[in-house]
Parts: sequence; structure tokens; C-alpha cells
Amino acid sequence: MKTLQLEFYKIKRRKVWLTMLAMLSAQMLWGLWALRNPGDRELQSGWLVLLYDLSMLDSIMLPTMMSILASRLADIEHKGCTYKQLKTLRSAGSLYHAKAVCGFLIIAVMLIIQFAFFISLGYYLGYEGNPDLKYYLLSYLLKLTANLSLFLLQLALSMLFANQMIPMAAGLGGSMTALLLSFVKTSSFLPWGGNLSASLVHADWNPDARIITYFYRTFSTREQAAVVCIFVWAAIFYVSGRIMFTRREL
Amino acid sequence: MAVQNLIETTNLTKQYGKIRCVNSLHMQVPPGAVYGFLGPNGAGKSTTLKMILGLAKPTDGSITLFGTKMNARNRISLLSDTGSLIESPSYYGHLTGEENLHILQTLKGCPKKNIDEVLRIVRLTEARKKKVSHYSLGMKQRLGLAAALLGFPKLLILDEPTNGLDPAGIQEMRELIRTLPLEYGMTVVVSSHLLSEIDQMADHVGIISKGRLVYQDTLDSLHSHARQQLALRTDQTATVLSLLKQDGIEVEKEEDYLLFPMVNDSCTAHLCRRLIQQGVSLYRVEKREKSLEDIFLKLTGKEESL
Repeated sequence: MKTLQLEFYKIKRRKVWLTMLAMLSAQMLWGLWALRNPGDRELQSGWLVLLYDLSMLDSIMLPTMMSILASRLADIEHKGCTYKQLKTLRSAGSLYHAKAVCGFLIIAVMLIIQFAFFISLGYYLGYEGNPDLKYYLLSYLLKLTANLSLFLLQLALSMLFANQMIPMAAGLGGSMTALLLSFVKTSSFLPWGGNLSASLVHADWNPDARIITYFYRTFSTREQAAVVCIFVWAAIFYVSGRIMFTRREL
Repeated sequence: MAVQNLIETTNLTKQYGKIRCVNSLHMQVPPGAVYGFLGPNGAGKSTTLKMILGLAKPTDGSITLFGTKMNARNRISLLSDTGSLIESPSYYGHLTGEENLHILQTLKGCPKKNIDEVLRIVRLTEARKKKVSHYSLGMKQRLGLAAALLGFPKLLILDEPTNGLDPAGIQEMRELIRTLPLEYGMTVVVSSHLLSEIDQMADHVGIISKGRLVYQDTLDSLHSHARQQLALRTDQTATVLSLLKQDGIEVEKEEDYLLFPMVNDSCTAHLCRRLIQQGVSLYRVEKREKSLEDIFLKLTGKEESL
């Protein structure tokens, strides 16, 4: 607990929250622009549209965001060569764990802000009815896990490489991969496809009527496996990152 | 049972690929000592100290700290009474000096007042509210020392602590290190590639060369090797050699010279007279001084990094 508290103390003046909020602001601005002036169809299925659009946005933006977050947390240690001091005071495993939990809490809060903003926007725009709490809560939890797994992958890279260009490049590459996946698939076993796999809403485009129908997805066995895969990736990245960091000599 | 040595390494070895950086090291640091760990650059000093702190895993051998053999399980608890400064100071540049020490004070679980005390010792009290990124290199080094001193540990491990300091700072640091055992009951291991530096600070010395500990004893003992000798060059080296040996004088041959322990002026005159009477032509009679540097070079086989 002490080590975790110190993680937050260490990022004082590092503007980690500001960086995250800047990325969120971009999503919010997009929301304000793209969702303005909804028609009757949009007002009817507005809460579904929100979940669908957020999944698309997150799958493209969040891999980069996770790489920035992990890099900001790990970079302070590389810059000041602090590992060699910290590792004489705490086990490497507990140091790694504290960083992971710190990042997890930031992501959790960030997603709460995101959901709160878009739900408020839905009410402001006059979407019919209320958001389905069960689906919104499930969506939040799956999104949290999907992005946690990406964060843990980035954290492992950021903790191992002093040169943060390497993890940042991996993050950008992840965003590109996610963008490509979003064009061709609704779910993927790749870690960067987690936000797509976790999407609870499916959009059906009717080219003749030129309308999109939104509905809650029914997951096939393969799609269910892709969701399970999000959890598996998170566990793999945490365990492997921790082992590599612990074994790393200074 | 009293702890005989605070640090004791047995057969300590570290190998990277095919290169043995540290080779079967038997280091013994007695309590209350300022142990100077001396060696040329790349001799294996930092690697040894890192292994003692558990930052690098030994390929072979063992480390005993405070009388207990160190392993992965007890490492952190054994190191809780240790302070260290390895290679360069560790710090968070975006935090102030005081905030940096607060992090370590929390992790070490020592009283908050220690922060004021160590800042006073290293003369950083006035700069405590300043961001460390705005510190000079010397100030960062002093902050690193403050961090090592924070818990007033029994054992302090300092790797080249005078790096980056100006001449006044170097002198100050040496003075401080020398007083630590007396004032705070600490045992200090301080590494350096400068013999003169160790000579000014340490009372025990370990000399490492190419990963091997080539000398380990008190500094006084090392000084006793730094003796004066008389060097003689004649036209009949072999005759003089046997003559002196007959008189029971310890003689060693070095190129054209014969070296033997320094004697007073009347003895020197008597010796010269005797040799001339034997028909020996004396070319040179010189006084030779074997300095600590000479001994160091002889032990390490290097003519650099002094």
C-alpha cells in the first residue's frame, strides 16, 4: 500500500492526468461534433450508438493512450536511475505491482470520466429512455480489462527499455493494427483488438435503405473466446512483465 | 556471537558471456572500517558492489552480510540496514530534494526528522525546496549521499562518491566519509580508481584487478610495503650479489641494479669502501623510493587510471 501511495506521489507535477484528460477531451470534442443534431432514429437507438461509437474510438485511440500512460509512469525511474536504489528497499516484484495497480486505477478513473461524459451527452441530446445499466456496466468492465491488458503490455516494454521510443512505437503500431482490424473484423484475438471484441453493440449497414441498425450482439463461440482472450492477455502481460523486470540485472 | 566481518564474500564470481568480470572474490569488511575498494576502471568494482546489494546475481559464490548469508528471500531485510550510492545518484528530477528524500524515508520507514538531519550533513538545507532537475551535478551527488545516509544505516556502500564534485566538494566528501564510523558508528565501503583518494579516507583497503582481489589488508600494512631502498650499479653484479648475500643482506636484482633495504649513511660508506677494496667499480649508488602508486601498479599491472 505504501509503495502504491508513493507511485502517485512520484507522478506529482508529471501532468499524467492532464495527458490522459487531453486524450479524453479529443474524444469528447468528437462526441460533441459527431453526435450533434440527432435525427429520430438516432434518438431512438442513441444509447446503443454511444456504446458502439465508443468502442470504435477506443480501439483506435486507447493503444496510444496506454503507451503514453505506461511510458509516463516508467520514464521517471529511467531518467533518474532510481531502480538501483528502489531495488535495495523493495522487491522488484512489489515495485512492478505498484506501477501496474497505479496505472489500473488511472485507467479506471479515466473510463469513468469517459462514460459519465457520454451518458450526460446522451441525456443532453435527448436520447429516448435510459442507458441499459447492465450493458453499460458490462461494457465498462470489459473495456477496463481490454485497456488494462494493453497497458500491461506497454508497461512491460516501458519498464524494460530505457529508450521510450520503443514502447511508444509499439503503442502507435497497436493503434494502427486496431484501426485495420476495425475495418475487417468485429472481434480479434490480438491484444489490440480487445476494445472491438469487448463491444456489446453491433451495427448492421443496409446499403439499399442506406440506414444503420444497431443492436446488442449475440456472441458466437469464437467471439466469446476472443472476449476470454482479453483476460488471458492481461494475465500473460502482467506475469511475463513482472518476471522479466524481476530478473533484469542493473 | 559478535559479527566478525560486516561483509564477507566467498568465491564471488560474475560472468557475462565468456568474460569473468569478478573472479573468485574473497572480500572481508570488518565492522567500523572505512574499506577502500580500489581498482582501475573496468576492474569489477561496481559489479562487486552491485552483487552485494543484490542488483546483479552472482554466477558463483556467496555473500554474507551482517553474519547472515544473503539469498533472494532475506535480501531486502538484510539490506534494510544499508545505504548505497552506486555509480550515479538516483533521483526524480521533477521533485524537490526534500520530496525525493520523503519517498526514501517512507520506504525505509525511518523518522521524518532524518530528512532535516541528512540535508544538514550534506549542506543542502537551503536547496531542499528546489527541483532536483535544477541542481548542479555536485548537488545531485550530495543528494545521493543524503539518500544513502537517510536511515543512518550500519553499512554504507559508496561507488565513486566524489564523481562530479569540485575540488572543495571532493575534500568535503572525503572528510565526511572519514568521520562516519566515529560519529554514527557506520561501516563504509567506498570504491575509487584513485589511490590518493583511498589513501586519504580508508583504513582498510582491497585492491581489485581484472576481477581478482590482488590485495586486502589494512592501509597501514600497504604503507609498510612502500619502503626506501638503495640501488647499486657496478661492473660485477654477480660478484657483488654473492658478497652481499654472504653478509646476510637481502638483495634483489632489477635489470642492471641490485636493490637492498635502505641503510644509514655510515653503513652505505662502509659498503662502498668494501666493494672498491674488492676491485669492484661503482657506477651508481642511488636512493629508490617505492611509493603506494608503484605498489598499486605492480599489483594491478596497469599504468593508468591513477
